[in-house]
Amino acid sequence: MASEKTTNEMYQVGKSIPKVDAREKVLGRAQYIADLTRPNMLFGAMLQSPYAHAKIISYDTAAAEEVPGVKFVLTGDDFGDHKMGPFIKDEGAIAKGKVRYMGEPVACVAAEDEATARAAALLIDVEYEELPAVLSPEAALEPGAAVLHEDLADYFKVFEAIAEDNLMSYTEISEGDVDTAWDECDLIVENTYETQAQNHLSLEPCGALAEVEPDGLINLWSANQSVFRVQANVCEALGLPMSRVRSMTPKVGAGFGNKMEAHIQPLCVALALATKRPVKMILSREEDFETVRARHPFKIRYKTGVKNDGTFVAREVELLLDGGAFADDSPGVLGNAALMSMGPYHFPNAKAFGKVAYTNHLRFAAFRGFGNPQVTFAGEAQIDEIADKLGIDPIDLRLKNMLGKGEKWFGGQKVDSNGLQECLEKVRASSDWDNRRKNSGENGVGVSAAGHISGLLATGAIVRMLEDGTFVLNTGATDIGQGSDTVLTQICAESLQIPIENIRTAAPDTDGSPYNWGTTASRVTYTTGRAVVGAAEDAVRQIKDYAAILLESPADDLELREGGMVGIKGANKEVSFFEIAAMTHWGVGGPIVGSHTLVFDQPTIDPKIAVAKGMPFTNIGVFTFAAMVSEVAIDKVTGKASAEGAWYAVDVGQAINPGLVEGQVDGGYAQGLGYALFEEMVWDDGRLANPTLMDYKAPGTAEVPYEIDTTIVEHPEPDGPFGAKGVGEITLVTVPASIANAITHASGVRLRKLPLSPERVLNGLIENENT
Amino acid sequence: MSSSETIALKLNGEVREAAAGPTTTLLEVIRDQLGLTGAKKGCNQGVCGACTVLIDDKLARACLSLAVNSVGQDITTIEGLTENGEPSPLQQSFVDNGAVQCGFCTSGMIVSSHALLQANPQPSIDDVRDGLSGNVCRCSGYRKIIDAVRGVAGD
Amino acid sequence: MTEARYFEPETVDEVVALLAADEDAKCVAGGASLVAMMNARLVEPSQLISLRHVEELQKIELNEDGWLQIGALVRHCDVVIAAELTEGNQVLSQAAGLIANPVIRDMGTIGGSVGHFDPAADYPVALAALGAEIEIAGANGRRSVPAGEFFIDWYETALAPSDLITSIRVPPAPVGSAGIYEKLAKVQGDMGIAMVAVVMAMAGDAINYLAVSVGGCGPTPIRLPDAEQALIGGSVDDAALQDFSNKLVAASDPVDDVRASAAYRKVLIPRFVAQAIDKAKAKLGEAS
Repeated sequence: MASEKTTNEMYQVGKSIPKVDAREKVLGRAQYIADLTRPNMLFGAMLQSPYAHAKIISYDTAAAEEVPGVKFVLTGDDFGDHKMGPFIKDEGAIAKGKVRYMGEPVACVAAEDEATARAAALLIDVEYEELPAVLSPEAALEPGAAVLHEDLADYFKVFEAIAEDNLMSYTEISEGDVDTAWDECDLIVENTYETQAQNHLSLEPCGALAEVEPDGLINLWSANQSVFRVQANVCEALGLPMSRVRSMTPKVGAGFGNKMEAHIQPLCVALALATKRPVKMILSREEDFETVRARHPFKIRYKTGVKNDGTFVAREVELLLDGGAFADDSPGVLGNAALMSMGPYHFPNAKAFGKVAYTNHLRFAAFRGFGNPQVTFAGEAQIDEIADKLGIDPIDLRLKNMLGKGEKWFGGQKVDSNGLQECLEKVRASSDWDNRRKNSGENGVGVSAAGHISGLLATGAIVRMLEDGTFVLNTGATDIGQGSDTVLTQICAESLQIPIENIRTAAPDTDGSPYNWGTTASRVTYTTGRAVVGAAEDAVRQIKDYAAILLESPADDLELREGGMVGIKGANKEVSFFEIAAMTHWGVGGPIVGSHTLVFDQPTIDPKIAVAKGMPFTNIGVFTFAAMVSEVAIDKVTGKASAEGAWYAVDVGQAINPGLVEGQVDGGYAQGLGYALFEEMVWDDGRLANPTLMDYKAPGTAEVPYEIDTTIVEHPEPDGPFGAKGVGEITLVTVPASIANAITHASGVRLRKLPLSPERVLNGLIENENT
Repeated sequence: MSSSETIALKLNGEVREAAAGPTTTLLEVIRDQLGLTGAKKGCNQGVCGACTVLIDDKLARACLSLAVNSVGQDITTIEGLTENGEPSPLQQSFVDNGAVQCGFCTSGMIVSSHALLQANPQPSIDDVRDGLSGNVCRCSGYRKIIDAVRGVAGD
Repeated sequence: MTEARYFEPETVDEVVALLAADEDAKCVAGGASLVAMMNARLVEPSQLISLRHVEELQKIELNEDGWLQIGALVRHCDVVIAAELTEGNQVLSQAAGLIANPVIRDMGTIGGSVGHFDPAADYPVALAALGAEIEIAGANGRRSVPAGEFFIDWYETALAPSDLITSIRVPPAPVGSAGIYEKLAKVQGDMGIAMVAVVMAMAGDAINYLAVSVGGCGPTPIRLPDAEQALIGGSVDDAALQDFSNKLVAASDPVDDVRASAAYRKVLIPRFVAQAIDKAKAKLGEAS
């Protein structure tokens, strides 16, 4: 399916066209969930748990119900025992019987306006019996620890989970034999690392609007990364057939994993069902912080053994994750972290194993990088420590040990497109590494590299020709701002050889869109792009069949021509899409609808190569690669590190829209920079201490350097659309390690705990002064 | 006055009536009552900048401005910066420079950029960084936004 | 839910009368502090008193005694550019320039910020260093409170519920002085982890005026006038400075919070103070 043309010759692919939705956004006219209204609409609000772990004894809703304007109050008593969850079905729409984290929704109210709903929710009186809380994975796994989910054994799980008491999931992958391999090593380095919770901080808080039609069908709009996951979660949580819920999405004010699984949608639907009126719920920023989800805190042990010449021999990685109160994507994050923990390197002996535990924190879940930023921080920092001990240049050490052509990923999956070497070489050149590293003065310069997955699960596309020969492209993929509507339109336009303006991208709608698992796992360009190419090819086959009638020539002799024409190869004779559409709509054959669906099917684990236990997924995706160099400055008085520049080289297979690739690099860098240097959710005995933008800080213009350099590397993925693969996550994955390595280069301080705060740097500086 | 009463606001050059209590914010009035949803509620504490508007030609957070306290002042929102509903050169520059991702910060960014360019028509990179330091974008890393602001200045 | 009442008085006396009549009444000027707290339901005032039509509060003027009177409603952006703040008094304009971001500086007022008194706020540190006075109108008339006595404890000031800050009075800058205001924050515009304001003058190599105020490291800005006095007449030498810094550390009472630990702040104080004094010295060197 890859094009026979090179990038330069392609018609729509490889061009940095403006995003198809940019105009409505700059005019202030794009509609997000909070901007939608329905006639006779109510507003929903929730009451949150004041305890991290407690039994719910009783509810008194009378005071709330008496407030003028209040229409309905729901508590856990009004909900059945239905459970949702992508890996382990352990989560209801609302707390029932007990609360498992501070801030968990325990009751909700629908009222005529938002202020009334919010005030009334606070009048609901809930009686609790406090239980001991487990606030770290270590505490959770202690014998005799208070158990969060007494019925864990009975919960439905989508994989063979190794789970018991507060152990949510255990995963192990191994190749070779690490235990005996240590003897072959000249140098063994072992360290522990720790990472913090990061908030996604999508600028748009989560929200939903639900409306029940007279026949009982439910229309649901929400901020999401997958209308299909919303539909599934709502129906699982409320015990509804999926055919009864129509899930849609307006514009989405970013999602970095936080809007993939459910947030407020099940509660919003429950209130709409109870009141039989449209209900809108928009979370406040505080509620969004406290109840949605966040990046997992990790505790990590890395042990790496090498030869004196730098050859990697063995690596063992042990992980311990705080999973929070509900499983959500945690088992997947653990599995992916284990899978990514060898980095893009060849280790003949490798073992990764780890646990994720239930704790009385809010759920930790998917967040750009999906466990990879944590292990890459540790693994790439340790490679620099090894390089330093061996006196080898850090880039040289990586080049020496990187996965070469034809080498397989940890676990045994083949790697078809591998631009890692070129990434390392390009970034060495673009950053002027050899010179900059030697002559950076007080500043420090650090490198890191990584691989990440792109793919996963099922997707479909429908390419529908309209009566005038223009098209509607319908994929069900939610554009969360990254630009997938534009990219998929370009792929479709290239496949059909028509102008961008002749394609309309349909908004995701479970009633009309083909299934799309979601905008996550760096998958839309690669996976949905494949479906679009397939659907367009299906349409083209039909177009040629009907053109053959009009041109009185066999379909095999026909070719697409730019602008929506079909011509006879080697002849001028041609017919337009307009004429073909007219014929199929009004005369012969019927309107043209091209479609294609697929499920990603390359196995992650090859049992001939690796042994795996507790793997939460079977076919995770193809591989993307990146290398980056960071430069930092350190204030010697305060210890504050600041970013001075970044150079990236990213293997995207084929850039469908280079400008949007740069956007993913810039944005992934900024988000990774905050994660590396200062972003941290802080708990004070179960209470999130900084659930506001006053106290939780994202990088602003002052923190993000203007100098972010992107080199796009293109090693086509054989089955990717025009060779493309994803780029959404890898750009964040490499950031903390490159900055930590740059700090060490500047100061000699090696930090193994994120964030790399002024306090930690200064403590290191003082320690170095004293030794 | 107490509870809700009718106030008249000068909004994008038109007098618009709305019901507001003493604690009703300008953001609530313009979004919920007057249907101008370009200004966004991202934090409701004045930090994120998504609700930035102009009040008497000075930048202000609509979420921190009381509606009753804004009576008699000239209020301009993103909708008021368009040219007959078409993108202004600044808005078009955001499109052309790829400065828009999710778009949730975009209205506030453009209003802030507009004020910045009024005061300093030829800003340096650092001028733009200073001027936009009160607007958070979680998608872009700011580089293309800075280019968009400087791009229009060059024309 | 009871809706607050709203007033737009035109004189200070009217404001004070309204405040005296209802202790849950709140004044609103820029809104930067109060409306944010209302939105978070941290305060639910029964009355809102808009100060926007009170003329007296809007001016910056040089009094006959040489003190600069900055009306409570003067916005941070106007403090930043106030030409009357010269020499060492520039710590106040420097502090104003580091508050939040340009939009909040356009909205927020000096009276609002001082009255709200977040211990991590910028103005109190500068005002303490300058020996400024807070002018207050209350039920019993008007009074003036030195900054050192105005800030009492965590979020506690000398303001009674019916008091209104009318202006901030800043004494004339010490002759030939330079001012340095430094702030360490997680990100630009955030509340500070620690702040320091230094006002210094020198005669040759000898210090002949010194005021040092440290913020973010206890309930109120830390000033040690006796220890400052002990440095007068001496040169800026490391041993004396170290001794001075040790006293500041001993006087500090920081807490662990979401921005940094108490221990870090204690380590930071001597380094930060030394840097600010060095910068003041350098600035004096440039000026002479």
